[in-house]
Order: sequence, then C-alpha cells, then structure tokens
Amino acid sequence: MELKEKLNILADSAKYDASCSSSGSMRKGEIGSAHISGICHSFSADGRCISLLKILLTNVCIFDCKYCLNRRSNNIKRAMFTPEEICTITLNFYKRNYIEGLFLSSGIIKSPDYTMEQIIKTVELLRYKYHFGGYIHAKAIPGANMYLLKKLGSLVDRMSANVELPTEDGLKLLAPDKSSDKVSKIMQYVKNSQNKNFVPAGQSTQMIIGASRETDLDIMQKAEDMYQNYKLKRVFYSAYIPVNQDKCLPSLITPPLKRENRLYETDWLLRYYGFKVSDLLDDDNPNLNILVDPKASWALKHLDEFPKEINKASYQDLLRVPGIGVKSAKRIIKSRQYFRLEFKDLKRMGVVLKRSKYFITCNGKFDLNKEFLKKEFIEANLVLGEKANSSSNIYQLELFHE
Amino acid sequence: MNNSYEYDASFLGLLSLIKYLLKGKIKPYNIIKDDYQVDLFTNIIKVKVTKDEKVMDFFVSRFGSQTMHYVYYVFLSSYPNKEIVIYYYLLNYLKYGPKVIYKRDLKCVRKVLELNKKVGNEAHKLKGFVRFRELKSGILYAEINPDNDILELLAKHFMNRLKNEYWVIKDVRRKIICIYDTKKIYVTEEDNLKIIDEVSKNEIMFKDMWQDFYHTIAIKMRKNDRCRLNFMPKKYWPYIVEMEDER
Ligand code: SF4
Repeated sequence: MELKEKLNILADSAKYDASCSSSGSMRKGEIGSAHISGICHSFSADGRCISLLKILLTNVCIFDCKYCLNRRSNNIKRAMFTPEEICTITLNFYKRNYIEGLFLSSGIIKSPDYTMEQIIKTVELLRYKYHFGGYIHAKAIPGANMYLLKKLGSLVDRMSANVELPTEDGLKLLAPDKSSDKVSKIMQYVKNSQNKNFVPAGQSTQMIIGASRETDLDIMQKAEDMYQNYKLKRVFYSAYIPVNQDKCLPSLITPPLKRENRLYETDWLLRYYGFKVSDLLDDDNPNLNILVDPKASWALKHLDEFPKEINKASYQDLLRVPGIGVKSAKRIIKSRQYFRLEFKDLKRMGVVLKRSKYFITCNGKFDLNKEFLKKEFIEANLVLGEKANSSSNIYQLELFHE
Repeated sequence: MNNSYEYDASFLGLLSLIKYLLKGKIKPYNIIKDDYQVDLFTNIIKVKVTKDEKVMDFFVSRFGSQTMHYVYYVFLSSYPNKEIVIYYYLLNYLKYGPKVIYKRDLKCVRKVLELNKKVGNEAHKLKGFVRFRELKSGILYAEINPDNDILELLAKHFMNRLKNEYWVIKDVRRKIICIYDTKKIYVTEEDNLKIIDEVSKNEIMFKDMWQDFYHTIAIKMRKNDRCRLNFMPKKYWPYIVEMEDER
C-alpha cells in the first residue's frame, strides 16, 4: 500500500480523539522544539485546531467498542505504519512547519504489550535516531506492562489514556473489553512519576458525550475526581459522532455539540474559577442548562449573593460574576489599587457589561434601572445575549489558556 | 506651526531622537519617518542625533527591559502614529514609573496595550501559519504577508527549531527577506537574493499528503466555517498551502 493511502486511512481513524494541544513543554532537539503555550498550525473545516500529526499506528484492533470506527466487527480497510514511515512523515511535515509534532495512538494489535512496544519503537527512533525535539503525545495502552509505560513516559511530552465513559455500566454496555481499573492504574502511575523528564506536559483523557445514558453530573463528577486524584492536565469531552449502527447506541442526527460546549464551560469553571461540581449540579438537577452558560445559571440561582461591588469584591467573588473572566478579574484587582473604577473603565478591561450589569455595582451604583433586576428579565436577557454570540465556542477559549 | 520631528525609520534612530526630546523637554506635535507625507501646517525639524548601540542600554537602564519590550512591539506595529504613542508612553513612565501600564485611563497606555496584543497575536499566529517549501537546492522557503513587521520575531522562533536547516522567509509586503545559514540570521532587501523557485523532488509528494491529511482530519458532521474563519482569517490563506483549493 502506498504511504499516501496509509496516511489517509490512519488519519481518518484517528480524528475522533479531541485532543490536539501542544502546550506545556519546553523540549529542544536538533530538529524541533516545543512551545510552552502550544501552537496551532491550521484549522480544519470543523474549526478545530490542527497542531499535531494525529494518526494511528494501526487501525487493526482486537477489541470491539461499539462506538468506534475501528472495532473488530467493522468491515473497513485496515493499515499499519512502520515506525520509519511515521518518522518520515513527521519530520517532513515538521520541516515545512505544517505541524508542531506527533500525536500517536493505535488500535490494539495482537496484545496491549505488543502495541505499546511498536509505539515506543517509533518514538525512540524519532528521539534518538533523528534527534527530534518537537512535541509528542502518545497514547498509553491500558493493560500494557508498567515497564513499558515507564519507557514511553520518558520519551514523550504528553501521555493519555481515555476513560471514554464515566461509569462502569456505560463501559460494560459499549466497551465490554475495557475496564476503568486499567485506565486508573495508568493515571496513578503517571501522576506519581511526572516530572520535567517524564511526561512534562502532563496527562489528559477523553470522555465521549451522548453515546450512553450518563448525566452531566456523572460526567463532571468523574472529571472532578480525575483532576483531584490524578492531577490531570485536561479532560476532553467529545460529542459522540455516530459512525456505527448498533442497538446499544442512540441514533443521532447531529452530534450533541451544544452539550459538549456546556461541559467544557463547566470544566473551565472547575479549573480556573474555583467552582465545585456540587455548586453547579446535583441529583435534582443532574444536567446543565442548555440555554445559558453554567456560571450565569449558577448566578441566577444565587441572586441573593449579588450585587458585588467592583471596587471592593474579592478576586474569588469577582470570578463568580457572569461576564467577568480570569483576565478581567485580575485587571480589576490590579487597577483599583491606582484609581477607583467606573463602568466606563470596566469595558476596557474586557468585562462584558451586557452580562455583568445585573450583578455588579460601581461605587454603589448600578449601571441600569433597579426595576430590571427581576430574575425572569435577567434570565431572558442572558439567553438572548448568548444567541447573538453563538459563534464563540470552546476552541476560542482553548487558544489563550492552558 | 506644528513641529514634527523626523527620524530615520530605524528603532535605534527613534530612541535616539526621543532621548534628545525628553532631555530638552521638547513636546513634539508628531514624530515621523523621513518619507512621511505631511500637510502645509506641519513644520519638519531634523535634528542631528548620534545614533549608537549604547542608546538601547540607556533606555533599558532608565525604563527597564519590560517597558522596552512593550515599546519595541509598538514599533513593529503598522499603526501610523506609533512613534508619538511611544513618546507619550515613555513620558508618562517618567511620571508614574512601572505602574503606568495599569493606568488604562491614559490613551497612550491603552494604545500600547492594544498594539502589543495585535503584534503579539499576529506573530504567534504566523508561527503556526508559515509554510515552507523545499527548493531544489534543499533550502526551505516561505513567503508571508503580515500586517505588522514581525519577520524578526519569526526568525528567532525558527532559529530555535530549524537550527540545522537553511531557510529563507520573505515578507512580500515590506520586500525584505530573512536568511538563515545554520549559524546566523541575515535580514536584507529582497533584491539582494535571487531565489530560484523550483521545488525539490519530494516537495510535491509531501504537500499532497498534507493536503489530504488536512481534509481527512475534519469531521464532516461538525463543519463550522465561521469558527475556522475566526481563527484562520482569509487574509492568510494565500500563503497557507492546504487552502490552495479553497482560496
Ligand atoms: S480499543 Fe476500542 S476504541 Fe480503541 S481502537 Fe479498539 S475498538 Fe476502537
């Protein structure tokens, strides 16, 4: 098979993994270096950042996960790269500045150990034979021997093992060959070994959204648990794309993109805004509001805690105001040491007054008539404001953070 | 009459002039490059200032390296009155010290921040969007057409990652090129280098594979043109090889 055809098959099979970030490493080599905040080299027609050459070593797989294109029972064209072939493509793409590095994943061929050995062989060639210093993200294969994990971790910038589904029941139904124990074991090991020479950019994982019955509460509790216990750098949420027909799977016409977006927003609140899952979701409200973002939704339920006075409120309190982000909260804190802030200053600091005006005062004054401070009115306006803004999506956040 | 002061278009030239103005407590109406079109009411003053490398040391010791970084990025921007912004920013620095950058009520501070963001963003974007092609000679060659003068910032970036390669980047708008010979960077006018723009044997093959990859990796059910345009504005497309058939 020609190299070009292999690439087409093995890129097509890899594209459902959401992660493409290339940040968090400062590696240098004879050819290539990593950039601490990551670099997007292109954007595909779906608006996603292309940073890494995202491919599978092979799409042959002995497992039969219901939601996956590469599952054993699918009748599709199969291919496998040799390690040298992957090096050739990576280095030539890198030289032309098409990519920031490689994201190598794989179906499970023969056994987890064998698959892992092939991945290691490839990465070793890149690092030792070609002295490649660009970014490498590799998948750790659940069930593989720990010494292989140790070896791979010392070669790559990021490692990930996907939990795929947040509950054991979900896994049993859709990925009967997988177990969450094996994934947890990898995460535990990486967490304990991580340092600047071992997976310097940290580990990440992915959950599929909407293929099983789990609620947003299930998903976010799992995420919170992993952030806390395994110090994950990122959890990715990937709206289920129906590639297979199966009686266990929902028949979707469009992927649940809005839900995915809300989960990312919630994730953001956990990581940067000091929220806990229990602030946002509980057994009575196990799913996020699709109409307004989770922070606004929280604020609407806690109107008695507002307004916050811009010239006095603590950093943590500012972060709870819809329309005020991490950057603008920091700016407010800094600037008010030098002068008293007025509403006109807030705009310059990136505060979205259209959203925040219901929740803040400046020097004791509101920026609107008090009669507009009714819950229903605020909610309606926040929902409307969001519609007008619908082009802004999660990838926007993606660029400037991490 | 409005007194405008002329400088030689170089960064050191500008700093030398500003040093002279600040020392003499002179408030210029504007500071302009030698080819700037002026109106009838403008009086152009040319002062002989000694331009030397030491002027940079003077500014760094007086204003700190962070301030000079801000000022340099303003200088790289395409904003027509960037020189006077720099002058007022430094003048206010003398009054307020390092905290001046937080005084967003000052117009020059807002402009400095805005231009820094613009230049920084474009440089960062282009670190990703630059596309090299391999010429017959083995040299990697790229063309760019940025709004701001960021060639040097890019060159420093690629010096790090492609340090054993020969490469050339041409800014087609400013007609300058940057050459790297595995040791040093040279910046010069485009006429000083004849580029034989014939590509290597492998070039077509890898370009082809990349274009295929670009189309394959998109998930059809998630198609989102608006989002893509947001991140990769059309103005960059002519130099991005995978956009060839969508231009
Ligand atoms: S293990 Fe499951 S998800 Fe992974 S490639 Fe095989 S079938 Fe697909």
